[in-house]
Amino acid sequence: MKHYLDLISISAKHHKAQTRMTRFCIVLAVFLVTVIFGMADMEMRSQLVQAVRTDGSWHAGFLVNEEQEALIGARPEVKQTARYESLNYRLKDHYQIEGEETVICGFDREFLDMYPDVDIVEGTFPQSEDEAVVNENIINRLELEIGEMISLKTPQGAQIDFRITGITKNTALMAEHDAFGIFLSMDGFFALNPESTEADQEAVCFVIFRPYCNIQKAIGEISSQLGLGEEQVRQNAKVLMLLFQSRDTYLMRFYFVAGVLAVLVVAAGVFMIAASMNSNIARRTEFFGMMRCLGAVRKQIVRFVRREALSWCKTAVPAGLLAGTVVVWLLCKMLRFLSPGLFEGLPVFGISYIGLAAGTVVGVITVLLAARSPAKQAAGVSPLAAVSGNARTVQAAKRAADTRFFKVDAALGIHHAMGSRRNFFLVTGSFAFSIILFLSFSTAVDFMHHAITPLRPSAPDIYAYSEDTSNKIPSRLVDELKNYPGVKRVFGRSYGELSAFAGEKEITLTVLSYDEQQFSWAEKSLIEGSLSEVISGKGLLLVYRSGSLLKMGSSVTLLPQTGRQQVSVSGVLSDVPYNYGTSKNTGIEEEMVICSEEMFEKLTGEQDYAVLDMQLQPDAGDAQVQQLRRAVEQACGREISFSDKRIGNREAKGAGYSMAVFLYGFLVVIAMIGFFNIMNCIAMSVSARMREYGAMRAVGMEVRQLARMIWGETLTYTVCGTVFGCAVGLPLNRAFFRSLVTSRWGDAWTLPGWEFLVIVAVMSVSVCLAAAGPVRRIRQMTVVETIGR
Amino acid sequence: MEILKAENLSKTYGTGEARVEALKDVSFSMARGEFAAVVGASGSGKSTLLNCIGGLDTADSGRVFLNGKDIFDMGEDERTIFRRQSIGFVFQSFHLIPELNVEQNIIFPILLDYKKPDKDRVEEILEVLGLENRRRHLPGQLSGGQQQRVAIGRAMITRPILVLADEPTGNLDSQSSRDVMDLLCKAARHYQQTVLMITHNMNLTQSADRVFQVVDGRLGELGGGR
Repeated sequence: MKHYLDLISISAKHHKAQTRMTRFCIVLAVFLVTVIFGMADMEMRSQLVQAVRTDGSWHAGFLVNEEQEALIGARPEVKQTARYESLNYRLKDHYQIEGEETVICGFDREFLDMYPDVDIVEGTFPQSEDEAVVNENIINRLELEIGEMISLKTPQGAQIDFRITGITKNTALMAEHDAFGIFLSMDGFFALNPESTEADQEAVCFVIFRPYCNIQKAIGEISSQLGLGEEQVRQNAKVLMLLFQSRDTYLMRFYFVAGVLAVLVVAAGVFMIAASMNSNIARRTEFFGMMRCLGAVRKQIVRFVRREALSWCKTAVPAGLLAGTVVVWLLCKMLRFLSPGLFEGLPVFGISYIGLAAGTVVGVITVLLAARSPAKQAAGVSPLAAVSGNARTVQAAKRAADTRFFKVDAALGIHHAMGSRRNFFLVTGSFAFSIILFLSFSTAVDFMHHAITPLRPSAPDIYAYSEDTSNKIPSRLVDELKNYPGVKRVFGRSYGELSAFAGEKEITLTVLSYDEQQFSWAEKSLIEGSLSEVISGKGLLLVYRSGSLLKMGSSVTLLPQTGRQQVSVSGVLSDVPYNYGTSKNTGIEEEMVICSEEMFEKLTGEQDYAVLDMQLQPDAGDAQVQQLRRAVEQACGREISFSDKRIGNREAKGAGYSMAVFLYGFLVVIAMIGFFNIMNCIAMSVSARMREYGAMRAVGMEVRQLARMIWGETLTYTVCGTVFGCAVGLPLNRAFFRSLVTSRWGDAWTLPGWEFLVIVAVMSVSVCLAAAGPVRRIRQMTVVETIGR
Repeated sequence: MEILKAENLSKTYGTGEARVEALKDVSFSMARGEFAAVVGASGSGKSTLLNCIGGLDTADSGRVFLNGKDIFDMGEDERTIFRRQSIGFVFQSFHLIPELNVEQNIIFPILLDYKKPDKDRVEEILEVLGLENRRRHLPGQLSGGQQQRVAIGRAMITRPILVLADEPTGNLDSQSSRDVMDLLCKAARHYQQTVLMITHNMNLTQSADRVFQVVDGRLGELGGGR
């Protein structure tokens, strides 16, 4: 031992158990902050991966000519530019290949870097005006190969030939609409219109800015320099949001909420560490008094406490960081497992520098700040008090316990909790923070339910449909296609419009048929009545619409060609997953009812389908889809349209998964922190008072009375923490809900019932365990042992 | 009248080389109102003897009868209740409850029985202790001597038949020590309580009726102090 501060390491070796709880608290706080910031970071990364896939990695787009594009490209903050323009994007302008509407896109090669989804899977980018890259739809359906020629018919009647130089995958939109798409170089694109004006030579110039540049400022400068109007500038909202570069009012509100949550997380960490340090130092005042007695000046005591706190950080902070990082890894692993295709960009062992930095800062800075006040307190212990033993027996109490209203054991428990204002504030504060955090973060779950439309179990991967909604798809296909490789389920719906009388009024009803599988999915949306009557072919299922003439129990007189028929509404669905509610003749929104297939046949005489939905096995690939398509086309001819929703489904599922994993992960971590915090606080408080408990037992206190006292203390913290937590948490929950959900979707705020129940249940379980542990320990110890500790 | 009787008490701590025989076959008895002092070197087994007699600790063998009842025959809870009703403790470092004021600390054993204390008795004790003006003070606001007086008050409030005092003057100045000794004597003489006190200070044994000495765990009687 060369220096008085060396005593820290020597003392630590002998008092490992004493400081274990404080070190555990630091680990917990660092873990909490690391996990939450790390998870947020990873969630941002995963959302960015998805946003780039669906919307591209560009930041802004400007509708400019070639000269202006060069000016933009020359700006120092611009990293990359690429021009892009399209024709017939809505498939209504009659640019056709072999009679099929075709989307035509022209872009620079750099555009491929900005849109990973438009990757050329085979071949090369077009070099000349008469070369084109085509999508998989064209290759598969027209059975073409690279090098072959393809002929595009323009609305003016001209035929333009292109040589195929490459193949791209279908984008989500093209797959869904089963559209043909050809991709040209910008020169090729402009050459499509030989009599072009200057305005026709304009294209969108997509820009990626350099990292750390103020994108909004740069967009403003470019717009004013080139005199561009608002309609000539577009921004990649999702990507900019994820880069914290958006100025959208809604997103600013979103950032604000995220900022407040981040502050709350940090504050929770600070509270935990401060409470534990305070308690640790308070119970060693005698030791510090002894040091003062031996000649240590106040400054040395302060230095000792601070250095000791830092020595705890040496192991506790890395342990917290490591634990936090491992949890983040596990969550990333889970995401990759749930949606391997979508999250392959997410690193398995990714390091979140934001999480690590936040954890380290919260750990070290908080420990130093938290050590300040106990250090001063320790330095203030009188040497006389220490040697006389008084420092040990008379700590903290400034006023007497109130034994008038409660029995002495409960009164002492309450007083132990409330006796020291600082300790009471720190412990209840840290309890309350768990509740505040839980209630605040739970708003994000509501936000997620609104922002990300979950994929319904009934959602098809691919479907065939007749555009005029006539029932042309043979129902036998259901049984046939079920046996194809890669098929999980096949189900169809018939469609009809029938005249009917609702009371005296004549209305037109849209009638759909469901099979048993679809009825079972519909059960979740059933808001009134039952399905059994409908399934057995005796009733109708009404789809809810405000202002509807029909309601549950209404009698409807249907007027099909087969003869008048009286049926009643025996159930009401809140909604259906598709939009059939407008008449194909009038375009007016109609009443929609659902019946069984038998009833539909009885009413219309038709048993075939207008829509055939197919759900695929996870391992089904493009080859299986093409096989199914050919089977449907063979049975129905080319009049049937085909839609591939796989990419869209995958994106919806992925976005839902990632957000759900992270948000519920946050909530679990917060609940866990609340749990450990209560356990730790009570254990610390009990072990600090062990001698006092020993004395009480010596003068005749029974173990059950001691237990009641510890329960009193625990419940006081919990009740006060819960009240304080709710008093702050509920208004925050309401404010965040209004800001994130009400402002956008109009839902009114309601008391967060289940969230409240969950966190109160977690707190209650923790309280029971927290009180039971020390009581069991005391029960096992003799009075002499207790008093001697 | 025999109040306390210890028979063949033995207690060993540790095993092997660390084995210490704290008590070796200790037997003695005390009558009602008797004041006895136990002296001995540090580590001789005095405190172990006191803890065993008070039921704070158990002996490996032997028995302790208090008012005819074998305290080692009792269960943990029964012994605890018996202790708070029949034995008063006074410790060297007082062991007052810091959150309770003087009066609350004194009536604490009665409160543990969920009973209302007798006001006259409380007043009498406060007067005897000379703490009437300090009744609302917290232990932290008292001197060491005053704290020890409170501890004696707590030991006397239930009128226990036995008061056990472990170095009650160990942390006190000479005046306070004299006050404490006077109070213990009063407990024996005036209230007819049996008092067994451990001390290092041979001068204090002068007030005792009997003086025991513990040497290496064996108890011997030195005779009367007075």
